[in-house]
Amino acid sequence: MAEMMSTPKPQSTPKPQVAEREKQRSFNLHVNDKYYALAFLGPSLLVLGVFVFYPMLRTLYLSLFLTNNVGRPTVFVGLKNYVNLLTSSAYQASLQATAVYVIGVVVCTLVIGLLLAQMAVRKLAGIQWFRTIFSATMGVSVSVAAIFWLFIFSPSVGLFDQIGKLLHLPLVQWLTTPGPAMVAVIISTVWMNLGFTFLILFGALQMVPQPLYEASAIEGASPRYQFFHVTLPMISPTLFFTSTVTLIGAFKSFGLIDLMTAGGPNNATNLMVYQVYRDAFLNGNYGLASAESVILAVIIALFTLLQFKFLEKRVTY
Amino acid sequence: MTHLKGRQRLLALGGLFLVVLAVFVGWSVMSKPAAQAQGAKRTRIVFWHEMTGPAQQQLDTFVKDFNHSQHKYEVVPEFEGNYNEAVQKIINTHGTDASPAVFQSMDISTSQIHHTGYTTPVQKFIDADHYNVNQIAAGARAFYANKGTQLSMPFNTSQPVLYYNETLLKKYHITPPPVNPSYSDITRVATQLMDRSHKQVQGMTVEIYGWLFEQFMANAGVSLANHQDGHAGTPTAVNFTSPSTLTTMKWIQDNLKRGDFVNYGAGANAQNNETASFLSGRLGMFLQSSASIGQLTTGNHDQLGITYYPHPDGQKSNGVAIGGASLWISNDKSAHVQRGAWDFIKYLMTAKSQAQWQVATGYLALNQGSQKEAVLQKLYQKLPATKVPGEQLRAATPNATNSGIFLQGLIQERNLTQTAMEQIYNGSDIKKSLETAEKSMNSYIQGNNRANGY
Repeated sequence: MAEMMSTPKPQSTPKPQVAEREKQRSFNLHVNDKYYALAFLGPSLLVLGVFVFYPMLRTLYLSLFLTNNVGRPTVFVGLKNYVNLLTSSAYQASLQATAVYVIGVVVCTLVIGLLLAQMAVRKLAGIQWFRTIFSATMGVSVSVAAIFWLFIFSPSVGLFDQIGKLLHLPLVQWLTTPGPAMVAVIISTVWMNLGFTFLILFGALQMVPQPLYEASAIEGASPRYQFFHVTLPMISPTLFFTSTVTLIGAFKSFGLIDLMTAGGPNNATNLMVYQVYRDAFLNGNYGLASAESVILAVIIALFTLLQFKFLEKRVTY
Repeated sequence: MTHLKGRQRLLALGGLFLVVLAVFVGWSVMSKPAAQAQGAKRTRIVFWHEMTGPAQQQLDTFVKDFNHSQHKYEVVPEFEGNYNEAVQKIINTHGTDASPAVFQSMDISTSQIHHTGYTTPVQKFIDADHYNVNQIAAGARAFYANKGTQLSMPFNTSQPVLYYNETLLKKYHITPPPVNPSYSDITRVATQLMDRSHKQVQGMTVEIYGWLFEQFMANAGVSLANHQDGHAGTPTAVNFTSPSTLTTMKWIQDNLKRGDFVNYGAGANAQNNETASFLSGRLGMFLQSSASIGQLTTGNHDQLGITYYPHPDGQKSNGVAIGGASLWISNDKSAHVQRGAWDFIKYLMTAKSQAQWQVATGYLALNQGSQKEAVLQKLYQKLPATKVPGEQLRAATPNATNSGIFLQGLIQERNLTQTAMEQIYNGSDIKKSLETAEKSMNSYIQGNNRANGY
């Protein structure tokens, strides 16, 4: 359009001026747009750059080095940090523990959360009270939850121990034997997650249009059939969302692990994030910790991608 | 109408934001002159420590008294969380305004802190002042010295000791363990406790704790790291599989299998649980830092017995290393500030301060003169057992194997030995578990030495 206007007839003097002005204005607008865009995006780009992109690149860079006792990269070792990690049996055990933990947490959280939501969606007297209780763990901080669960799992005065004694069951050393310790941290994490999951799924269940149930009931569908063929497809976007959020959250779990088991016993609950913390902030081994962070980031990205690729296909919007 | 409401809300939000901003700006502007005004008269000496509970209270009292005792310096104590994390904070803030002038750092960080080159060895001030360093316990000094130079001043110092419930032993007619017990002495008492109480009382526990592992080796006179535990040069390898170490681990494993020893696991939870069991009379003996005395005497109806750390049979005990932390002076502050830091350290090390420190915390009074102080005499009269850790400290002659390990990466060493201990306690092959730990530690040391250019 500007091209057309910029080739006016020479005799009409005011026209080129107008055209020039037009062009200038359009140019100005264009430039202004860019400035505006930059002005609006700038602050967030700056914040992202300083606090996200720079640390990410720096982590990648550090992961290729050995770091000295004040944390400076001194010896370039290429991918040796990665090779050492992936071939060390301790790190493989940590990967395995993380897999067990993440699967346990995601599956239990979703199943129990859905169960609670399904119960709470019924219109019964006093149901409001239960709805509040079910979502109450959202308001509990990690440290409080850890102390609370530590009391429950304590070997001499714990609730589980007392119940076990009443029923004459063998004493389980919850936090000092590897298998039960993993179960204990999974239970605590699921409990912490439930409030949020319940609330989101409860909201989704309430949004399912009632006529669908009525229509299917007339067709003679059983409640079970209704659940699998009406409810689940209708809430699938929400289920997908919660599964992704829970998965990423489970990979990043730190507080409960630190306070309850500190990675023990025998490294049974030494998840990947905890290993990163140990290497960076206890051992001061930033190169290795960076390599571990990169591996963790890649794994999370991979799982999220897989989820989008496969789970999303089954999601009905 | 709604649009107007929205705008009003936006305005209100904006206003609120401005108010918050104004408060912050005002606060930062106001607080600065105040700090400067204080600093104009006295030089600020920022002191980082990691003490909690009664120790923190006593430390705050010392700071207050020191500030009252002179007009040149103002010591500002700042609590920095746990030992492990403090080390990284100290290193990462060096050279900035946020760094401390004097700081407390744990025993096993000694080599690491020294090698950063961020500190002025206290030897410089000892020499300048002709400070009589011999009044400070030799065993404690040796831990924080390298090749004749005192790097830092030992401060809160503990000894690992064996605690036993004397009342419980009397009840079952068991002779208490001797002053300097061997492994078989402990086995005897533990077995008798288990048998005579019909398994109502657990005999003994050894916490899964790398510190205790190191102490077993020290007391057997075995070096953990080569080059004389690093005192003769930078270590290049560790040895976790000496005959004495294997014997020690076998002793614990056999007793665990028999049931006269129990496993309380690792970490703070293990310490809490073993202490709770001991105080409730369900556990007869355990190994722990002498710093626990305070906790074990308050509210304990039974009589507390304390004796030396056990040693392998058929040899004399070599003596154990101390635990705790020392005080360091940063070299990123002016000479005047460093001098103030040293004056504060001297104040903490006086006979009077050290005696008060032991009474308040259970850490040992390191000044020889403290033994004559009235407060300490009174404590000994009330609880004679509290004398034992100090006697153990003075009984040992410092040598390379009982003066700590001068090696970087001891946190890693403890992680690895703890993992090995956990495996051994759960019945794994002793030699294999220790070899795995040894291999990991050696590759860690190699990488670390390479990164630091040793």
